[in-house]
Amino acid sequence: MLSRTDARAEGSKIPAHRLRLTDFDLTLPALGLLVLFFVVPVVILLARSVTEPAPGLGNYAELLGSSTYLRIFANTFIVSGLVTVVSLLIGFPVAWALAIMPSRLASVVFAILLLSMWTNLLARTYAWMVLLQRTGVINKLLIGMGLIDKPLPLVNNLTGVTIGMTYIMLPFIILPLYGVIRKIDPAILQAAALCGANRWQALVRVLLPLAMPGMAAGALMVFVMSLGYFVTPALLGGTANMMLAELIAQFVQSLVNWGMGGAAALVLLVVTLALYAVQLRFFGTDRMGGR
Amino acid sequence: MLLNFDRLGWWKLVLIGITLLTAAFLLLPILFIAALSFGSSQWLIFPPPGWTLKWYQELLADPRWLASAWTSFQIAIIVTVLSVLLGLVTSFGLTRGRFMFREALKALFLTPMILPVVVLAVALYAFFLQIGLNGTLTGFVISHLVLALPFSILSITNALEGFDKSIEDAAVLCGASPLEAKIRVTLPAISHGIFSAAIFSFLTSWDEVVVAIFMASPTLQTLPVKVWATLRQDLTPVVAAASTLLILLTVLLMVLVALVRKGLKS
Repeated sequence: MLSRTDARAEGSKIPAHRLRLTDFDLTLPALGLLVLFFVVPVVILLARSVTEPAPGLGNYAELLGSSTYLRIFANTFIVSGLVTVVSLLIGFPVAWALAIMPSRLASVVFAILLLSMWTNLLARTYAWMVLLQRTGVINKLLIGMGLIDKPLPLVNNLTGVTIGMTYIMLPFIILPLYGVIRKIDPAILQAAALCGANRWQALVRVLLPLAMPGMAAGALMVFVMSLGYFVTPALLGGTANMMLAELIAQFVQSLVNWGMGGAAALVLLVVTLALYAVQLRFFGTDRMGGR
Repeated sequence: MLLNFDRLGWWKLVLIGITLLTAAFLLLPILFIAALSFGSSQWLIFPPPGWTLKWYQELLADPRWLASAWTSFQIAIIVTVLSVLLGLVTSFGLTRGRFMFREALKALFLTPMILPVVVLAVALYAFFLQIGLNGTLTGFVISHLVLALPFSILSITNALEGFDKSIEDAAVLCGASPLEAKIRVTLPAISHGIFSAAIFSFLTSWDEVVVAIFMASPTLQTLPVKVWATLRQDLTPVVAAASTLLILLTVLLMVLVALVRKGLKS
C-alpha cells in the first residue's frame, strides 16, 4: 500500500514537471499572434510620433500647442464626461429596480438590454441619425407638442453625439451595477430602517455608499470607452465636431501624417491606461464584486 | 426596505417608471428602423405614407451589398474557428500552467479588448501597408482574430476554471490517454464556454467596423464597411433594410443562445 502511494507520487512528479513546460508552450501560438500583430504594430506607430518627420518631440508640441487640437481634446473629454454622468443617473435607478423587481418583468428588461447591446453598432447609430435629423421624429414630436417652433439642430453636433453614445453605453453601466446591487444584503437596509433611518437617509447613507464601487467602476469603464469611440461620433457629430479617435484616423487616412497620428494615438493610449490603472488600484477586481 | 420590492411604497412606481422608460428608449429606435425599412418614403418620413418592399429589392439586387455580406460571413466564420481553437489551446495553458508571469501573460491576452480599437486599426493599417496585407482576406482575418481572441480566452478560461480537473485525471487513471481524456471528458464539460467563445468571436468579427474601414479596398469590403460608406453619402432607406436584416440576425442569435443555455442546463 505504502509503496504504491510512493510510486505514484514519484511517478507524478516527473510528468508534472514536463507538463509545466508544455503548458507554457500551449500559449505560444496566441502569444506569437499578439506580439506580431498587436504589440509590434502599436510600438512602431508610437515610435513614429518621435521620429517623423524629424526626431524629437515636435509632434507633441504641435498637438498640445494648437487651439484646434486642444478643442478636439476638450470635445472628447466633455462628451465622454456627459455620457458617463447621464448613463450613471439613468443606470443607477434601472439597475436598482432590476435587482428587486419580479423576475418575470426583469427578464423582459434584460432581453431588451441584450438586444440593444447586440444589435449592430452602425444600425443603432443610423437609427439616431434618422431620429434626430431636422425633419426627424423627435423634432416633429417637440413641435407637435408646442415646445419649440423651429426644429432644433440635434445632429451634426455634440448634442447628437452625446445622445447616441449614451444610448450605446447605458447597458455597459446597468449590467455591472445590477451585479453589485444584487449582492448587497437587504438585511443591512432593514437594519438602517430599524435604527430609524427614513428612505432618503437609507438611500444616501447606506445604499449609495454600498453601490459606490460598482458605480465608480462602471463609470470609469464607460468614460474610457467613450474617449476612444470612433464610429458614433463620426456619424452623429459631423466634421466640425471631431473627437480624438476621428482625429487619429484623419491624420493617417486623409493627411497621411504618421508622426501626428502616432502622437495622438499615444495621448489616447496614455489616458486610457492611466484610467485603467486608477481602476485597478482603487477597485481591484476582487474588491469590485462584493461590497 | 429599499431592497424589498413590496415595501418600497410610491418609490416603487418611480423606479418602475424610469426602468420602463429606459427600456423603451433602448427598444424604440430598433423597432423604428425596422418599421422605416418597409416605409415608402425616400426621406424616411415617419409614420410612412405607404408600405413597400422596394428597399429590400434594391438591397438584394445590388451585387455589392451581397458581395460585402458574403465577405463578412467568410471572415467571421474563419475568425470564429481560429479564435476558438487558439482560445482552447491557450486557455488550457493558462489555467493548468504554473509558470512565471502567468498573470501578466493573461493580462496581455486581454489587452486588445480594452484598448481603443482605433489605435489598433491605425497601427495594423501601417504595418499591413509594409507587408502588403491591406485589402486581403488574410489581413481582415488576422486583425479580427486579434480582437476576437480575448473574448474566446476569457470564456474558455472561465469554463475551465470551473471544471474539476480530477475528473479528467480519473479518465486517465481508467486508461484514457491524456489527449483522449481532454477530448472526451473535459471538452464536453466546458462546451458552454466554447459556445460563448464562438458566439462572441463571430459577433466581434461580423460587426467590427473600425479596423475594417482601414483594411478595406475598393474591391474587398465587409458589410459594416459598405453600410459606413453608404451612410457617409446619404441616409437612404436601403440602409434601414440592411439594418433590419442585421437586427433579425441578432434576434436569431439571442434565441439560439437561450435555447443552447436551456439545453446545457437540463
